[in-house]
Amino acid sequence: MWNKIEGESREKISQTQLSRLQDTVTRVYELTPFYKEKFDELDINPKDITCLQDIQKLPFTKKQDLRNHYPFGLFTVPMSEVVRVHSSSGTTGKPTVVGYTQADMDVWDEVMARVYTMAGATAKDVVHNAYGYGLFTGGLGFDSGAKKIGATTIPASSGFTDRQIMLMKDFNATILAATPSFALHMYETAKKSGSDYLKDFKLKSGVFGAEPTSDGLKEEVSRVWGIDYHEVYGLSEIIGPGVSSNCKHSKLLHINEDHFYPEIVDHKTGKVLPDGERGELVITSLTKQALPIIRYRTGDITSLHREPCGCGRTMVRMESIVGRVDDMIIVNGVNVYPSQVEHVIANTEGVTLNYQIIADKKGHLDKIDILVEVNDDVLSDSVAEMEKIKKDIQHSLANNLYINANVKLVEPRSIERSMGKAVRVVDKRV
Amino acid sequence: MSKILKQLSIFVENKKGELSDITTLLASNNISISSINLSDASDFGILRLIVSDNDKAKAILDEAGFSSRFTDVFAVEVSDHVGSFNSVIKALAKENINIEYTYTISNAQIGAFIFRISDRELNHAIKTLASDGINLLSEV
Repeated sequence: MWNKIEGESREKISQTQLSRLQDTVTRVYELTPFYKEKFDELDINPKDITCLQDIQKLPFTKKQDLRNHYPFGLFTVPMSEVVRVHSSSGTTGKPTVVGYTQADMDVWDEVMARVYTMAGATAKDVVHNAYGYGLFTGGLGFDSGAKKIGATTIPASSGFTDRQIMLMKDFNATILAATPSFALHMYETAKKSGSDYLKDFKLKSGVFGAEPTSDGLKEEVSRVWGIDYHEVYGLSEIIGPGVSSNCKHSKLLHINEDHFYPEIVDHKTGKVLPDGERGELVITSLTKQALPIIRYRTGDITSLHREPCGCGRTMVRMESIVGRVDDMIIVNGVNVYPSQVEHVIANTEGVTLNYQIIADKKGHLDKIDILVEVNDDVLSDSVAEMEKIKKDIQHSLANNLYINANVKLVEPRSIERSMGKAVRVVDKRV
Repeated sequence: MSKILKQLSIFVENKKGELSDITTLLASNNISISSINLSDASDFGILRLIVSDNDKAKAILDEAGFSSRFTDVFAVEVSDHVGSFNSVIKALAKENINIEYTYTISNAQIGAFIFRISDRELNHAIKTLASDGINLLSEV
């Protein structure tokens, strides 16, 4: 454990949370016209927050609110106190911009140090960081945490896969920080170059995140590299990577809830759901200075679990993200998450994991195409056998997800694959 | 000399320019194609080639992002008279050997057919044909 608070009594954690929540609410009410207006509309005063449940009285903050105040409209400190700005990719309209004071940076270092410690990393380790450096929080977030624990950091960033593999081998990297899809791409490249990867590499564990990932893909990354898979969750609006991660005892991710207060809500009604039930993750920052945020709708679907963990940490755990509220597509009335599709494909013997879902209209009905990349491992000389793979996936999708998809086998690397993130859904209906 | 030939089977999507992409790639790398066959479904196909330099061809295709693998086949010389092909089929049928597919190739000198038999029965097929006096080619 990096910090003893991770294993504190629930009572102590709740006390810390409440006093920090009260400070945060007072801060945004006094300093941000946006929040003051919203609180006033609902007739809420910071003094009304007397217990943690009172958080449910507070209004939500949405991504669009950040965009509406682009770039710095929701900051609560003068720019002279802002030491860093990050921005998330703006696929639709303006990007979202976030800022950090030095105190915010210190919190980020702290929670990332906890992440690395959970993954078994210490000052003796060499961290190969293949997250992109730049406005994206991944690169610098994983960088600063590695520095905090005193590990040697290789700031490889993204791209130049061949060279990265060479450096990872030559510098004896022991920890890999990367998106899972890039980790798999690195493996495929290493395999192709004929390097005896398992013998040559010293990797023991990896910290992976930044994109939705099925169990199948996690197991694949873990298996091909022969390393422990640790998942890291985060989002720039809250801090970047470091909101939560899993220890070696389970796949559930410990949330650093002394800094980030989690709730699960029904994404249609906004009503708070009980522990164990899946819904949209909502987070309130408890210590952020530059950009405090109240009940932020992450759009990520998960559930919370409070059973004790074997590692001794007492912080609440969340399930790995099941899907996105906005990634979820409705096909002829059936809810479909890309992660479910990925799972079905992974379970169908011998088919690679790279896929893309394309939703479109055919007359009044929805139709769905799923592109699946063929690789040398599944390629057969027989057309009939290739047709069988296709039919098997179609049947599996129909049986498990109740969707009639047209599976199309495509050539390797024809689906856009990330340096950053893989494009899993293309919805042509909107 | 081994009578087993290495055929390169390549996954191709059914889209414009796909075949010429592959043949251009091979030609520009000085690889010659001695047999070619395409088996297709509605939206993809398997292109089967016997080429002059297997390893080089495979490496070039990998690099260009094509999925491919080697398949063992053999080539039987078929002379230009009635019943010549039939005698090959009969010899295999007599031994209950199943033919997965066969296709013709021709170069200037002789006519020949490529046969694909399951890996399990491949050696048995070759022995059978040889003992029936049928000429198997060591290269095409």
